[in-house]
Amino acid sequence: MELEMEGNSGNEEESDIIGGGGGKVNLSASEIEYVSYEGEDHLPLIMGLVDQELSEPYSIFTYRYFVYLWPQLCFLAFHRGKCVGTVVCKMGEHRNTYRGYIAMLVVIKPYRGKGIATQLVTRSIQVMMESGCEEVTLEAEVTNKGALALYGRLGFIRAKRLFRYYLNGVDAFRLKLLFPPRPDLLSQSQSQSQSSPPLHCNLHE
Amino acid sequence: MAGTSAQEATVDLPLPERTPIPSGDHTVWADVSPLLDAACKDLQDGMLIHGDNFNLFAAMSALEIMDPKMDSGMICKYYSVDEAIENGAAPVPISFDKTIDVQCTIDIMDHLLACEATWHKGHSLAQTVFSCIYLLRPDRTSSHPLLHSYCRVIRATCKTVISVVSDARTHEEEDLFIMTYGLPLNGDGDEKCLSMLKAVEETISRQLRACKAPSSKTRVLEDLMPLQNNVEFEEGYCKALLCRLRFRKHFYHVLTSMRRPQGRGLELARKHIASCISELKCILNSSEFLRSSTLVTHEGSIEDKTTASGRQPIGFDASLNCRLSAPTPPRAIKILSWKKAVEYFMKLLQDLDVICSYPLDPSLESVLHFVVEFQKSQPDLVARAHLQRLLVQDGKLYGRDPVFAVITRAAALRDNTRNHDIQKKESIVQLGQLVINLLKILCTNGAWQRRKLGKILQDWRVVYVQLEMAFRKEFGEKANISNDENVGMKLFQHILVWVEEQTYWIAFRFLILGFELELYSESEYCMVYWYIYVVLIKLAEKTNLKTVVSNGSGKRRGKKKRDSVKDVARDYQIPPSVLFLQCQICLAEGLTMMLAALRNDCMMAQNPSPFNTEHERFIQHFELLQKACIPDHVSFPLFMESTTHARLSNLVMYDYFKDAQRITKEVKSSFSSDPEKLAELRRLEQVAEHNSIALNVISRAGALDPSLKVSFEFNHHPCFATAVVKRC
Repeated sequence: MELEMEGNSGNEEESDIIGGGGGKVNLSASEIEYVSYEGEDHLPLIMGLVDQELSEPYSIFTYRYFVYLWPQLCFLAFHRGKCVGTVVCKMGEHRNTYRGYIAMLVVIKPYRGKGIATQLVTRSIQVMMESGCEEVTLEAEVTNKGALALYGRLGFIRAKRLFRYYLNGVDAFRLKLLFPPRPDLLSQSQSQSQSSPPLHCNLHE
Repeated sequence: MAGTSAQEATVDLPLPERTPIPSGDHTVWADVSPLLDAACKDLQDGMLIHGDNFNLFAAMSALEIMDPKMDSGMICKYYSVDEAIENGAAPVPISFDKTIDVQCTIDIMDHLLACEATWHKGHSLAQTVFSCIYLLRPDRTSSHPLLHSYCRVIRATCKTVISVVSDARTHEEEDLFIMTYGLPLNGDGDEKCLSMLKAVEETISRQLRACKAPSSKTRVLEDLMPLQNNVEFEEGYCKALLCRLRFRKHFYHVLTSMRRPQGRGLELARKHIASCISELKCILNSSEFLRSSTLVTHEGSIEDKTTASGRQPIGFDASLNCRLSAPTPPRAIKILSWKKAVEYFMKLLQDLDVICSYPLDPSLESVLHFVVEFQKSQPDLVARAHLQRLLVQDGKLYGRDPVFAVITRAAALRDNTRNHDIQKKESIVQLGQLVINLLKILCTNGAWQRRKLGKILQDWRVVYVQLEMAFRKEFGEKANISNDENVGMKLFQHILVWVEEQTYWIAFRFLILGFELELYSESEYCMVYWYIYVVLIKLAEKTNLKTVVSNGSGKRRGKKKRDSVKDVARDYQIPPSVLFLQCQICLAEGLTMMLAALRNDCMMAQNPSPFNTEHERFIQHFELLQKACIPDHVSFPLFMESTTHARLSNLVMYDYFKDAQRITKEVKSSFSSDPEKLAELRRLEQVAEHNSIALNVISRAGALDPSLKVSFEFNHHPCFATAVVKRC
């Protein structure tokens, strides 16, 4: 058994096809509002999205584990009041490194291909970096080309292949993003992570 | 929704009427609702009960009761096997109509084959093979000799397979495979499964003879009842059963023969493999008859069915055991189709045949080559476990050759060194363990193999340093060296060179496995080929040194007898194994430079990442090699230095691919008796040829034509890419 027990994260693909396929929503990027996790009211929204889009069943404990311990790493995307995407993460010590971990990333189908997942995950990674993480990891199915391309653009490498990682028998890649060493940041990061992250961020701020 | 309210879950669930599970000696049933109610009143919405030991794993393992996605009890049809049997889920006989009984028995056999293949492919035994209720109660089938003998051989086969896989245990892949959850794998009398099977086979072959006989004479003489009632189908059913029974018999023989120590049963195993394959073909052919002989109309394609007849089998319920598969949430396992199962066994048997036909060559180089070639066909766990068990038994190669002898042979040393005292030295003992470990690792799946190879590089490096220190200590300060010491010194020298060579071989394998596992993206190819290039240079250097050292120490000892004659004739010529490496070196260097030039001449898109640079990606990809100093003094700045000045205009002037082509042509004759090496050389030659042409096209048209797009594909070789030029 792999020592890292982070379990099975689903990282839904973000299709690169723009405007293709039925049921796509036409919108401009500025209509999407990104919100940091604000509390219990957001939890059903997150659970709804993940249950709907990912096959892995997560217990309520799993969600609470993440959002209560690392609310600052959880973001939601809204379009006209409707929650259309979310990212759930954690961070902590792992074999002598301080490491961020992206557990779930979901954008509902009609909203894919619009850069929403990139925006969501970039916000989490930014907070991780500012909090002093040395690296960020996650797992993605080898067949999830959209997610692999997305993380590739952000600088993740495919560090390992995990044989039949998912319950459905599909292999996973362990993706890793190593931050450049920033000694200047290490001392600041502690104080920065104390202050609450911005709750509302518009895309073109 | 799962977590929204506990009340909802307790109200109005349409539970079927059933008798409650009775309390036992150690269990009492109590109503916990008041306790839970009281606990809920204490908790505010959103509160989390949190203990120190409640980590992510605990959270992920927690089940929500009554949520069908997680609660395995929700989807169970029956509480227990006994309840299922009482409800007639697995009748014995299956039908009092003998024809239907035979049909159903064949369906059970086929579905079991599909279950067995699904198990081999990585699902739990409990939810595949042992979803068969007949297997779960060994004694119940005793009145039905056909079903009984088949169930017995299935249990015995599973047991044998589990034992081989758990013997070979080196990695996580088989964790699930060998879990038996207290399943009845040891049915009373299962060890006699073959004699029972043989008796049943005998009866059916007599029945087959009887129905083919012109008159009923034979039948009367032998007092023989037909297999079933329908005369028209008698022959077809007898044949369908016979090939299924014989397949099981031969397959069980294959497994037991292959288990014999020191590979003594391999020849016999091959005979049974051949029989297995021919019975499997008969099984496949019986499908047409079985489908035509049933009146049931078939919905859906036969491709999805788990039986040859296309019918649903009787007597299976995967949910009976699913409560045993904690802590993961219950998942319905998709059983492979019958056709896919037959294909799986065909491939397994072919893989086993490859193993059995290996001549147990004592040369390590030959073993490594064999394993690497074997892995190219992507054998599954059972075949790989058999290979590993054959290679390593009792800490010896094939359970026969002591590791030290294997090492001295690999290091091109004379036979008289095999009993030298040096083998008792700690670092030599450790080296022996590393060799055994390496063999085991090479038998694992590609993903696991690469991770392990990366980790053992450090161990090989450490053992090298220790050996070197021991060598210095022993011989460093002495001026006069006795004859015996001279032998010891030579041993050390040879072994040191060989350890280095082997270390670079592992590093090379680690790097190229990254291609097979798709770990590199196109933007990283440049650094990967550069690293392969620097590793190959070292590997070639050490291989050459080994040859020189062994030539220098008198008579050549070595694996390749055919080379030695030639080498003596042309004393200072580069050995073919080194030339082969040089050919790969040229390709790796050529690809590095071509990719760098394309980047430097802005012909390949560069998308800088927002969070890090190429330097970080270099560190991550080669971290394990760098940690082990493989090779020494290799770093990201050196990579940058070697590639920043690459330009297409220069590359055309000096074409590495032309060099590669030239060497492949030269070296081919040296490998005329080795078809695998020749095929590899042809692949390398093709890569070189195509890249050389592509390079010319790009350099001539590229600067003038911005619509020219270059991408890289692996259409000629799995690791060495070919440039594809397209206009878009």
